[in-house]
Amino acid sequence: MSEPKNESEILFTLVKQKYGDRLSEEQLIEVKSNVEKIVETAIELREVKLDNSDEPFSVFIPYTRAGK
Amino acid sequence: MNPVYTPVSELSEMILNQETSPLELTEMFLNRLEKFGLLLNSVVNITRERAIKEAKQAEHDIRSGKYHGPLHGIPFGVKDLLATINTPTTWGAKPFQKQMFTYDATVINKLNKAGAVLCSKLAMIELAGGMGYKQPNASFTGPCATPWSLKHWSGGSSSGSGASVSAGLIPFAIGSETWGSILSPASNCGVSGLRPTYGRVSRHGAMALSWTLDKLGPLCLTADDCGLVLEAMAGYDKNDLSTTRKTYRYVADTHEFRFGVLEGSTSNSDKSVAKNFEKSLKILEKIGSVEYMDFPEYPYEAITRTILNAEASSAFDEFTETGLASELTAPEDHYGPYARTIVLAKDYLKALRLRAKMAKIADKSMEQFDAVVAPGRSGPSTPIDEEFRKVAPGTTKDLMGAIGNGAGLPSISVPNGFTDEGLPTSIQFMGRAYQENRIIAAAVAYQDKTSWHRKHPKMFLPK
Repeated sequence: MSEPKNESEILFTLVKQKYGDRLSEEQLIEVKSNVEKIVETAIELREVKLDNSDEPFSVFIPYTRAGK
Repeated sequence: MNPVYTPVSELSEMILNQETSPLELTEMFLNRLEKFGLLLNSVVNITRERAIKEAKQAEHDIRSGKYHGPLHGIPFGVKDLLATINTPTTWGAKPFQKQMFTYDATVINKLNKAGAVLCSKLAMIELAGGMGYKQPNASFTGPCATPWSLKHWSGGSSSGSGASVSAGLIPFAIGSETWGSILSPASNCGVSGLRPTYGRVSRHGAMALSWTLDKLGPLCLTADDCGLVLEAMAGYDKNDLSTTRKTYRYVADTHEFRFGVLEGSTSNSDKSVAKNFEKSLKILEKIGSVEYMDFPEYPYEAITRTILNAEASSAFDEFTETGLASELTAPEDHYGPYARTIVLAKDYLKALRLRAKMAKIADKSMEQFDAVVAPGRSGPSTPIDEEFRKVAPGTTKDLMGAIGNGAGLPSISVPNGFTDEGLPTSIQFMGRAYQENRIIAAAVAYQDKTSWHRKHPKMFLPK
């Protein structure tokens, strides 16, 4: 079994364990397919190399009620 | 002149010239919302009492010489994901049908301050389509039809905003876009829809689907109206720290435009969409230079999709855990939220880091153009009782949507023709960050040379 398949199988098992009791067999098939798509997407991202200094644009602003 | 299908810019002149009044306009559009809203499934709640009060106030202020500008006394509607005092805010979803807020969303406050009159909360796809819906019957108010054919879909998730403007039920409406939710109904309904730069408009009071992707924008009869409405909506808000402190003033600057045509943008398009797009390029050649361009290879779709999956999963964590999804309308939304609960933190953060690169790549690729153009949607409206996608979201390519939404870039969609079935098609103009005036000006120049935006569905024309 290839690595991507392994990862999606493991993650789908997690979803099934947590939410399986509220989903039908048909719905679980769809959820499995969606998990595989999410893992494929993640693998695409992981293949891109980044430098240690490459940061997100997100800005955290320490808060005080009075402002800056 | 009949006010129905009259752009905001002309309605405001009619008010100033006393050819009509805010109260007269408001009563007329309230009546149209009541008459046609159910036919299209485009309306959730009509705010009649509030609208009459606001219209009377507008009338009083204008008569007293306190004129607030071109939106003063103009009726409008909002997608029902914007918090509103004294009226339910349903997010289009049955579990939230009775949800009440004790405040108005910032964008409603801003539009009220400009003198606009809130007339209606408009239909939307449940939870802004965030559960992965695949067909139009995904709202507790039912599938919303395009006024061009009641058997075809309005698009979504700002369904009622597009359909109501297109049917002349309201002069302008507010929608939201995380990925496609303004441009899709604008295209399917044959109206002008503007997705502003991320952070241009406050999201305070709007349902969060994805904090770093959600944008609010106008749907109007013309591109020019989109500029007028954006000016009233835009601005810094201490309740939304993502809002920019850059002031936005709508200026329709006219100059020789430089258009970049996205390579291969019609390769997966419907034939009519491709044909109408080619005709549009001939028009653009009359108002500027046109050359083909492309974005370098990068995992644009994977970046934006991962951010959306992770943030939506967190935004609706409690909703997911409590099993409320089973109460949604669309069967596919019953299981939609579960798969994305497994997006790993490291993948989300990688996507955020790559987004910073993506934003720079997009800006560099677009720096020699006023706008990159492509079809607004690859196909026209689909039948109202059929799936519009056969696969999970993210499986098909949408480069303009992935880059535009992921990098927070503005885009405006305007009608550019019809299919043989009489369904509207569109062209979109996407610009660099904060360059709304450039893309609006380009769309205005395109509309000056065409008449697609002046065509309206016969069923809704005033007698």
